[in-house]
Amino acid sequence: MAEIPAPTPAPLPARARARGLRRWFEPARIGQMSRGGSIVVYGLLVLWSAFVLFPFYWLAITSLKLPVDVFDGPSFLPWVDFTPNLHAWADLLDFSAKSPLAETLTPYRNSVIIAFCSTALCVLIGAMAAYALARIEYKPRLGNILVFVVLMVVTAVAVGVYGVDLWIAAAVGGALFVLLARSVGRYFKRSVGNADILFWMISQRILPPVVAVVPIYMMFQKVGMLDTHLAIILTYTVVNLPIVVWLMHDFFASIPIDLEESAQLDGASRLMTFFEIVVPLARAGLAATTLLVLILSWNEYLVALFLSTTQAQTLPILVAGMNGGEKGILWWTMAVVIIIMIIPVIAMALLLQRFISKGILLGAVKG
Amino acid sequence: MATRDGTIGGRRPGEDPAAAVVTTAALRSGRLAEWFDRQARTLFIMPAVVMILIFSIFPLIATFILSLSRVRLRGGGYTMRYVGARNYEKQIFGSEQWHFLGTFEEVSVLGWVVTAAGAGLLAWWLVKYLRGRSGRVSVVGTIGRLITASVLFGLTFMFAATLFSGTRLGTLGVTLFYVVVGCGIQFLIGLGLAVLCAQPIRGRTFFRVVFFLPMMVTPIGIGFTFRMMADTGKGPFAPIWQWIGLGDFAWAVNPWTARAFIIVGDSWQWIPFIFVVLLAALENVPRDLVEAGHVDGAGGWQIFREITWPQIVPVAATVMLIRVIEGFKLVDLPNMMTGGGPGIATESMTLHSFFAWRALDPAQSAAISYLLLFVTVVLCVSYFMLVVRKRAAVHG
Amino acid sequence: MSEAGTMADDGAAIGGGRAHSRARRLSIEGLNKWFGSNHVVKDLSISVEPSEFLVLLGPSGCGKTTALRIIAGLEQADSGQVLLGDTDVTNELPKYRDIAMVFQSYALYPHKTVAENIGFPLKVRGLKPDERAEAVRDAAAQVHMEELLERYPRQLSGGQRQRVALARAIVRRPSAFLMDEPLSNLDAKLRGYMRAELKHMQHELGVTTVYVTHDQVEAMTLAHRVAIMDEGALQQIGTPREVYDNPANLFVAGFMGSPPMNFIRGSIENGRFESGGGVGVPLEGEGVGGGTAAVMGFRPEDAEVADPGTGLFDTTVYAAELTGDVTLVTVALGGDTSLAIKMPKEYDVDFDRNVAVRFPLERGFLFDAASGERLSARFAVPPGAA
Ligand SMILES: Nc1ncnc2c1ncn2[C@@H]1O[C@H](COP(=O)(O)OP(=O)(O)O)[C@@H](O)[C@H]1O
Ligand SMILES: [Mg+2]
Repeated sequence: MAEIPAPTPAPLPARARARGLRRWFEPARIGQMSRGGSIVVYGLLVLWSAFVLFPFYWLAITSLKLPVDVFDGPSFLPWVDFTPNLHAWADLLDFSAKSPLAETLTPYRNSVIIAFCSTALCVLIGAMAAYALARIEYKPRLGNILVFVVLMVVTAVAVGVYGVDLWIAAAVGGALFVLLARSVGRYFKRSVGNADILFWMISQRILPPVVAVVPIYMMFQKVGMLDTHLAIILTYTVVNLPIVVWLMHDFFASIPIDLEESAQLDGASRLMTFFEIVVPLARAGLAATTLLVLILSWNEYLVALFLSTTQAQTLPILVAGMNGGEKGILWWTMAVVIIIMIIPVIAMALLLQRFISKGILLGAVKG
Repeated sequence: MATRDGTIGGRRPGEDPAAAVVTTAALRSGRLAEWFDRQARTLFIMPAVVMILIFSIFPLIATFILSLSRVRLRGGGYTMRYVGARNYEKQIFGSEQWHFLGTFEEVSVLGWVVTAAGAGLLAWWLVKYLRGRSGRVSVVGTIGRLITASVLFGLTFMFAATLFSGTRLGTLGVTLFYVVVGCGIQFLIGLGLAVLCAQPIRGRTFFRVVFFLPMMVTPIGIGFTFRMMADTGKGPFAPIWQWIGLGDFAWAVNPWTARAFIIVGDSWQWIPFIFVVLLAALENVPRDLVEAGHVDGAGGWQIFREITWPQIVPVAATVMLIRVIEGFKLVDLPNMMTGGGPGIATESMTLHSFFAWRALDPAQSAAISYLLLFVTVVLCVSYFMLVVRKRAAVHG
Repeated sequence: MSEAGTMADDGAAIGGGRAHSRARRLSIEGLNKWFGSNHVVKDLSISVEPSEFLVLLGPSGCGKTTALRIIAGLEQADSGQVLLGDTDVTNELPKYRDIAMVFQSYALYPHKTVAENIGFPLKVRGLKPDERAEAVRDAAAQVHMEELLERYPRQLSGGQRQRVALARAIVRRPSAFLMDEPLSNLDAKLRGYMRAELKHMQHELGVTTVYVTHDQVEAMTLAHRVAIMDEGALQQIGTPREVYDNPANLFVAGFMGSPPMNFIRGSIENGRFESGGGVGVPLEGEGVGGGTAAVMGFRPEDAEVADPGTGLFDTTVYAAELTGDVTLVTVALGGDTSLAIKMPKEYDVDFDRNVAVRFPLERGFLFDAASGERLSARFAVPPGAA
């Protein structure tokens, strides 16, 4: 080792100890809070808890108030300020009467069916695509994609502007694509890769739903599926697909590939490998993603607003529809409906909140 | 199959050959399974691709065509006629300008100053890039930055011409207000809460669960609840309103209080999302880095500023991207809390588009939604390329 | 207080390290630490002289890191004191202790360049950028990293990261260094090289150093003194030679050396050490009465394999391995005892051959089997054997 003269030790200024007010904010040791700090921290935490919880409390007591209690100005404590009354809740259970809440049952059922089916479909399709993009190499030709887009534009123009039947246009477009794909593919050799496909799928989330919803409305109108469960289920599936693909792709990519390779050496098919090896390993991610999608579908408003009128009406639409009207807003009734609408998701959130934060984070961290 | 036999036989020399034969026979039996396996490439990805093509790409194209047409509804059907960019013209320069961009009157001095300052900043930014000091200059990069700069300049001018002249904002301005101010506030509070919860506190699980709750609640429910609570006569804060002499003040009548209130509701719902992600990111910061900071002599603020914050910046940038993308779609809260009023003061672009649709004008609705798409894509892609990507590159 | 005086007073050689003007004595007294019901550090008292290189040695999980973290102020002891020079720093925050630490993972800030990493301790102390740059250059030169100041940690190799971590520790001229297994993440060759560099640098700077490792070779080569810990308690402290030649108990004897000391279990009967397999050696000194279970120990390099009948006991060869500089012969004694003997590298022997084992009896050790303590009794060397 070369001789390096020991540098003259220039004594550093010792760190000055905190003085005055700052001493209050200096912890006694690492891993503890200072006295001043803990007052501030707990103060703010409690304050924010109050801000978060108070609306829930207000909803709950409003659902227990008689109209007169509501209109007499604010009252806060049941039994002290006002006498709680179950009239709004009784209406809900009173199916015989033409009470405002008896109509809640159908939307509730619709919401359950739509949220669960679309979530299941979305997670299945999305997870399969995510897995494929994480493991199988795709190289679609750029030329073919161009042909496809052009044909789609032509089809849309034909259907929309010239009134050609949707089915005929789609069939002709499909046939043309098959014919052209081979010949064009020969000239445009450039292709896109998995990363591009992944980006394309995830980027669909940027699309504001309002951009797509009018043509979707028209499509379903053409095939007579407006105001059906299936129409909303399919639309929700696509709306939430980017989230599933995004989160699940990261989960799958983080699973060591050796396991799958050894399964395939043992003779398992891709499908078997996916369902028997990969899915069980990605359980945590699947659970988080499922929950997230379920909540999004349960709470969705705009698409349902376009696609449902009566038969397939969901809860958010019901609530939004109760806003206003001749008798003014029935605050107590609305409070009841909102409570029964948020109870299932809150329950799930309480059970699975660790999962969710983990699932979201994995996606966010890897970006 | 031959290769597979070979592989199995070859990889396991010790195994009884008869056993290998049995395995292969079992594999051969499922003809359908075999077909499936060969098609797996396609089968795995096709459902997603087809769904996106039908319900996302096709509508995207269709909406664009729709936005270039005039639509007449007749009886059960409709007729479409190509009118070029007429619909967009109407929104940006024509009779709907007041609704989309805001009421333009004479631009005030302040407005001009702001416009000039914005133009100067953007020009400086572009020149800095083209000088190539900070990295390679590419054609795509230049074009992208030009688009970003022009859109930002347009928006600056729009705000200068409306906000600073004291005239009304259009739905574009309102939407941007929600996105920029709302998301900014939400980020700051979410980060603050995450930092608080990362302290060595008791009851962390309790706070974490409580803070997370609003994310679950449907925006429609939030809209209703906040409307109820904001009522100056019957809401819980009525005594306070009366005490400060605003007993019969109606927040929904003043554009700014109405917008502020929508942001409060929106924040109540979205801060949990930012909070949860940032808290997890904070907890993911390697402990030894923080400890090294302590030993190196850093104080609490220095450790946050120099060590913790740079570690969570990539996550913060990504979470804000998600938040901003969702922010552009805001519709339920204004619809529920104010119905877009007073006037158009709280109307977001999605709501604007929906109102146009409800007024049986699908072409205008399509044009507005395309304008929303354009602004969203330009701003989000710029943010992604210039902030998120760059951060990711630094952190490798 | 004259530091030179202190050094001279102390029996432990300081290895001629230059006394650093700020080097200070670092002592811990009666440290105890519980994690829940787990007593991780037990009544630990060590005094490290100014400019001394002390190695804290022990198996994984024995509480070395915890002890080091208590010294650094990252962990709070349940009882006991940490003294730096004459000041009690037990209740000080790490930032007020004049102590630098090198982490096992290096803990380099990934978003800072090498220069920024090294300069960080100066930055938080409010030094101006130009003063900082100079100190950073000096420190980087010390570890031969001048060329790589603008790199990020992820662009460095393991050895280079290690140097950055060292530079970050030395740049502020602390009163004491703490190092937690700093070489354990390097490959074997680099580890040997860095060991020499580290030793030279400590000598050069003369900073009081506490170095934690589980590797006894590292401990032997680096230390002025070694402190051996097991299950949270200090077993022995002394120069490497003392500890090696004069182990205080079974644990120390078994931990030092590679391969470690051979042990034969047996008992003391009527002034003789007796064990199954025909081992019987007369004892002298105190406590040779009888009846106590005892363990006989000798080092592999002290023993040799000889023809049957010519040694202390006869046995068979289990295996013989040429390790390069020596041939390591393993012999089996009874059911579960196997003994290792180092023979010259030319030595060759067939497996299962009958052989005898012998070693100079004055090089043998005797331990109490129950407590593990070294017994004062020694093997009686037959007159004329020497
Ligand atoms: N933060 C902690 N909480 C609980 N137990 C711990 C903690 N840190 C260390 N331990 C336990 O204390 C013991 C000593 O750990 P450590 O000091 O890291 O050992 P070493 O560095 O000697 O390998 C181990 O049994 C370990 O499991
Ligand atoms: Mg350790």
